[in-house]
Formats: sequence, structure tokens, C-alpha cells
Amino acid sequence: MLITLERNSGVPVFRQICDQVRFQVAAGVLSGGMEIPSTRDLGERLGVNPMTVSKAYALLEQEGVLERRPGLSLVVRSGVRGGVRSAVGGTERGSRSRPDAETTRELRHEELERLLRPAAIAARQLGVPAKDALEVFRKVLRAPEADNHERGVDR
Amino acid sequence: MTHTESRTQRDRMVFAADQLSKRFDECVALDQVTCSVPRGRVVGLIGRNGSGKTTLLRCLQGLAAPTAGRATTFGVDGMALVDADLARIGVVHQANRFVPWMSGRSHLDFVRSFYERWDRERERRLVDAFELDLRQRIGSMSPGSVQKLAILTATCHHPEAILLDEPAAALDPPSREALYATLFDLLREDEPAIIISSHQLDDIERSVDWILCLERGRVVRDEALDALQERYARWRVLPLPDGSPDGALKGNLREPWIKSAIVEDRGALLVVEDAETKREAFESRHGVTVDSQPLRLAEMFKVWMDERPSDDRPRRDAVAAPKGSQR
Repeated sequence: MLITLERNSGVPVFRQICDQVRFQVAAGVLSGGMEIPSTRDLGERLGVNPMTVSKAYALLEQEGVLERRPGLSLVVRSGVRGGVRSAVGGTERGSRSRPDAETTRELRHEELERLLRPAAIAARQLGVPAKDALEVFRKVLRAPEADNHERGVDR
Repeated sequence: MTHTESRTQRDRMVFAADQLSKRFDECVALDQVTCSVPRGRVVGLIGRNGSGKTTLLRCLQGLAAPTAGRATTFGVDGMALVDADLARIGVVHQANRFVPWMSGRSHLDFVRSFYERWDRERERRLVDAFELDLRQRIGSMSPGSVQKLAILTATCHHPEAILLDEPAAALDPPSREALYATLFDLLREDEPAIIISSHQLDDIERSVDWILCLERGRVVRDEALDALQERYARWRVLPLPDGSPDGALKGNLREPWIKSAIVEDRGALLVVEDAETKREAFESRHGVTVDSQPLRLAEMFKVWMDERPSDDRPRRDAVAAPKGSQR
């Protein structure tokens, strides 16, 4: 698990841990069934209170990113899950029967969405219309073709 | 497993103040302070000079008697703590009065003789981490070295309650890191309750989970750092390209959750509380877009100091923004 903290960023440490774990699960760096470090170990590694780590883990468990195996430590939840935002937003999406690939795709999109939100705000503040902003994003992606656009930034 | 274990321990209060007041002649050092600290929590005690931080720490360990109310450690009144209780407490005082002719080594040997649970391994580790030369006499040590020695003195007996009064004031940056790393080691090993007072707000922000802020002997904030970080934000407010004529924001920012504002003709910088719940309504009411950034503890602290009742300090309105209007 690759985690690095920005200590004076004003962003709560537990949230930094959550975001980075979720990202790595979405990216497939952490795969289903993989055991994650104990709260003590990660606390030691990062130089934070183990309780902060356990707060992050509890939230990820609630989101369905991690699961606790009976008698075992926490592992990355494999296969189906209810959708990361559903645990927070309160609307269960009932994706229990969805295949793995589908949930992975969903999780990836949610992560990308979270990371693009600041860019969207910047676009609004700059007065860049949505169409132009997508153009810029496509350029950033180095994928100028229209069909790539549809696949990459579908809504 | 360890999860539920620590949850039950979390309920165990180590430090508590209940309507605690302390007066020195005319001066009110603490004014009805109520707060508590359970095991496993690291509290950053912050406040300006003379806000009552040291007095609170002294009341909790029985070095000062409350004028009214209670101060307890392990549920025992500070003044009633007996040796067995004190052996479970570790303290770094603001000014350490160690015997000047003793070497660091003989000081530690002397102190160790009072504690059954003194941990020589921990002592060795800390001496290494702090690069402390124990052959030196205390009288000829630098303030930083004395402070390091004080930290060893306060932590090698596996205390369950730790009070640190500006323990890092004389430490260089690497030693400060070593101090905070040590605190986390202690947390993992003994799960103590820790209160650490400091003016170094950036250090505090990196290391504690809870903020207790005093001002003029009163509690100004007593809250989880996480929660504070999520509530406060700095907003860069810009008008929508097609909307908001000049000056639309001016004189329109009287809401109490807007803590400070620098308003210019075409935009504003705000410090806000309850940031996320207010954002959408604010954007549509004023025809603006908001870019929300996290606020650091040092900036929150400024906000809290400005919140003081204006009758005893009229400075607030005297501070004007360089351009445009302030609130």
C-alpha cells in the first residue's frame, strides 16, 4: 500500500488515507482479498495515531472498499460491492449481481470524478464553456478522436 | 479485535476538568473550564500567552489548587493524587529545574530509582533518537538538551497520562520530529492520554487529533481536529461570467458563518465555517462560483481570536483590508 501524507494541507489525515486506498483499489494496485496493514503498522509507518488509521479503515469498510474477514484482519473487498458513494450518499444501488469488471469500472469513474471536480470548478471560474473544457481535457488525455472522447468522458 | 478493545478504552477518561476556575488575586487564570481527555487521544492545547494553558496543566497534576470546580486525573482530584497515581503520570514542565551539577546519566539513574516500570530500552532508544550526550552536566547543557532530558524523564516509565507544557519550544526541527514520533510510539505501546501545549501550530496540526483552545481562561474550542478541518474552508469567490454586476457581494456578507472577508469589485476571499452545507445556496444567491480550499489550523486560530467579544477588545474592526472593505 502506497500512502503519503501532506501534514499541513488542512485535509484531515483520515481522509487522505481513505482517498489513497480507494484510488489504489480502483487502479488495481490493491486487489480483492489482499490483506492491508494493521492500524498499528500503518500508524507507525505514517507517524500518526493508530486511531486515525482505524477511523479511515472504518470509513472504507462502510463504503464497501474493505471488508473484515471473521477472525482475520481487514482485506480489500473482492468482486461485487454497493458502489463507493452509495454508503455515503445513502442510496443503495443494488449492484450485487454486477460482474467484477462493471464494479471496477464504476469505482474508477467515481475516483476520476472526485479528482476532476476541482478542475470543473476552475473551468467555471475561468468562464470556460463545458464544450471547450472537454476539448482541453481530451487534449490532456492525448486522445483527440471523437470516439475516444465518448468512451472516456461519458456521462 | 483491537478495534473493539480500543473502543472500550476510549470511554475511559484520564483527564477531566469540571467547571474548573482558578484565580490568582484579581487575575482569573481559568474560568469555568470543562473538558475531558480519554486514553489514546492526543490533545493540542493552544492559546495566546496568559490564556490559562499552564494553569490547566498544573491543576490536573495537583500543582495548583482550584479556586472552584474540579480537576481530576484518573478520576482523582489533582490535589489528592498519591504516589501510586503520580507514577502513572509523565510531565514535561515549561521550565525544568533539574539539579545542575548532575550529568544527564546520573539524572536518569536518579529518576529511574523512583519508578518500578522504568524502561531502559525506551530510554536507550530516545537517547539515540535525540542524539543526547548523557555525559554532559545539566548545568552546561543547551536548553534543547535539557528539554530532551525532560522528555525522557517524562516518558520512560510507561505513563498512562502525559502532560507536556511546550515541550518543543527549544528543540530544533529534527528533534521536534523525534519528539512527535516518540509520542506515537507511546500511543501504540501504552495508549496514554496526552495533552501537549504549544505555540507551534503547524507542529500541533501535524501531530494531534484534538484541539483544546483557551482564551482568557475560557474554552474557545474543544473539538476533533478532523472535524474542524472539514468544517472550515477558504473560499475564492468569483462572479459567473454572465452574472453579478460590480459590487454585488459588498455589504451582503453579514452571515455569522462568514468569519472574515476581503471583498473586491469582482471577487472575494472568505473564511467560512460549515463550508460544505452553505456552498450551493451561496453560489446561487450571489450568482458566483466558489473554489473551496482547506484551512490550516493557524488560520482557524486567527478566526477564533477574532471571535472574542468586542467589548473587551475593540481591535477587530480596526483591521482593514488593504483594498476594498472588511466585513
